[in-house]
Amino acid sequence: MAEDLIRMEGITKHYGKVQALTNVDFTVHPNEIVGLLGDNGAGKSTLIKVLSGAEPLTSGDIFIKGRKVTMKSTADAIANGIETIYQDSALVPQLSIARNLFLGREPTKGFNRMNQEAMNQVARDLLKKVGITKNIPPTTPIGSLSGGERQAVAIARAMHFDSDLIILDEPTNNLGVAETQGVLRFVRGARDSGHSCIFIAHNIHHVFQVVDRIVVMRRGTIAADDIDPKKMSIAEVEDVITGETH
Amino acid sequence: MERSLVERLIAKPELGPLVLLVLLLAVFTAINPAFMSAQNISNAFTFTVELGLIALAMTLLMTSGEFDLSVGSVFGFSAVLMWTLFNTGLMPMGVAFLAAMAMAMFIGWVNGMLVTKEGIPSFLVTLGMLLVVRGTALYTTQGFPQNTWRAEDQWLAEVLVGDVTIFGLRLYMSMFWFALAAIVTHYVLTQTKVGNWIQASGGNSNAARARGVPVNRVKIILFMFSSAMAAFAGIISSIRTQAANPNSGTGYELEVIAMVVIGGTVLTGGRGTIIGTVLGIFILRFMRNGIVMIGVPGLAYNIFIGGIILAMMVLHNRIERRHMTGT
Repeated sequence: MAEDLIRMEGITKHYGKVQALTNVDFTVHPNEIVGLLGDNGAGKSTLIKVLSGAEPLTSGDIFIKGRKVTMKSTADAIANGIETIYQDSALVPQLSIARNLFLGREPTKGFNRMNQEAMNQVARDLLKKVGITKNIPPTTPIGSLSGGERQAVAIARAMHFDSDLIILDEPTNNLGVAETQGVLRFVRGARDSGHSCIFIAHNIHHVFQVVDRIVVMRRGTIAADDIDPKKMSIAEVEDVITGETH
Repeated sequence: MERSLVERLIAKPELGPLVLLVLLLAVFTAINPAFMSAQNISNAFTFTVELGLIALAMTLLMTSGEFDLSVGSVFGFSAVLMWTLFNTGLMPMGVAFLAAMAMAMFIGWVNGMLVTKEGIPSFLVTLGMLLVVRGTALYTTQGFPQNTWRAEDQWLAEVLVGDVTIFGLRLYMSMFWFALAAIVTHYVLTQTKVGNWIQASGGNSNAARARGVPVNRVKIILFMFSSAMAAFAGIISSIRTQAANPNSGTGYELEVIAMVVIGGTVLTGGRGTIIGTVLGIFILRFMRNGIVMIGVPGLAYNIFIGGIILAMMVLHNRIERRHMTGT
């Protein structure tokens, strides 16, 4: 069996007296899109916060490619190849596409001066690569892009800096039909170029269209972790989420 | 493509202040041609520089999402500190100058630490600091100005405010310092990695942090820079006016912030422009000077300034909205 990309073992997380996660085991394989489903309060967000370095875990271990890691911040997680894309929050609206792509890792050429030509060129290529066909100059501020285009920029950034795992938290919220299809296409594109994704969405139809495997959480535990979307219907998965069948 | 060039020009936040400045100059000159005389221009320039130095630093600080109300009191305090150290014979003037600058940077460091580590809004932190610093200046001097007449034969005074006359225009060294500071801050903000971090810190600090940008360090350094520039300006002013008054600089913080926002820098951070600030500095200075020259009572000055601020805010706000919706 291929080595797991991410393996979380016995993850427990308390917020004061509230137990948000209880002994959760969760894995992501290389080149895989995992759909993470669960009702409100099931523990999806907490699990993702722990994995993305936004929240410390109470107990348990996280392994990346078999190596045990501790992550104290989102910057730590990014350095470990885990990139989390929240809608809107990962980009600076006032900065251009190119400046956002390279934020924190700007190439320079003496006197701290950014190599803006190189940044713009890479940005142009990346936008093409994630499938934005519209001709958007890389100097366009993020604030003037649509929601789907912003997701595309964030995904392009994760791909460019070789994140092994891209976590998408509700990437299709508030998007129109065409934009949603665009985002789903970017996600598939990311997998096809060798990245793994965790896809979290309330809209179970979007999840079914794109993922290889579905993991369902319920009350802070894993209710099912190997659902093949090709072999189960949406209605059946909904039952697992609500806990109506065992 | 031509259309987009025009559109891009209109979307520039500097266009509004530029048009306003040209208009002001035209109107003032039309009413009183003496407004454009070499004598008057060089006078206006001289006063411009001192507030201008602070405004340049404030532009960077505001772009990073913070602002500093204590600059006016640091302006007064630093000059008092330097002259006290020098006059009492504790230090030669060059060392006293460095000591005053170091003290100002320490004040900025405290501001920055309280804002970033304690999470207190910069409005409250720097308001508190304004009172502490001003109070210290008043208490230690018992309210009396420090004499500065011994500046005459000091090389430092020559470097800071010495003058040269070019084509009948009397220019002070301080103008050179201002031009240098404007070029450097413009370069930093638009061309450098640090400039990108400053904008990102103000635009979306969480996103910047996640990308490894040291947001707190950026802000602390900018607070220190802002204080240092206020001290530098205060010392220049004390040599030029031959008085280190513990009360000088009162109210400067608001005038400086007005210069910056008129130029198109956003109070809430994320976007700033040094070119805009330089225009804002000239607008307020020529307003003050021009109003007197065309015979409007000087006491009415604030009415015009307030009106200009409000009008420019409406303009910038509209441009910003157009810009962001991508039209």
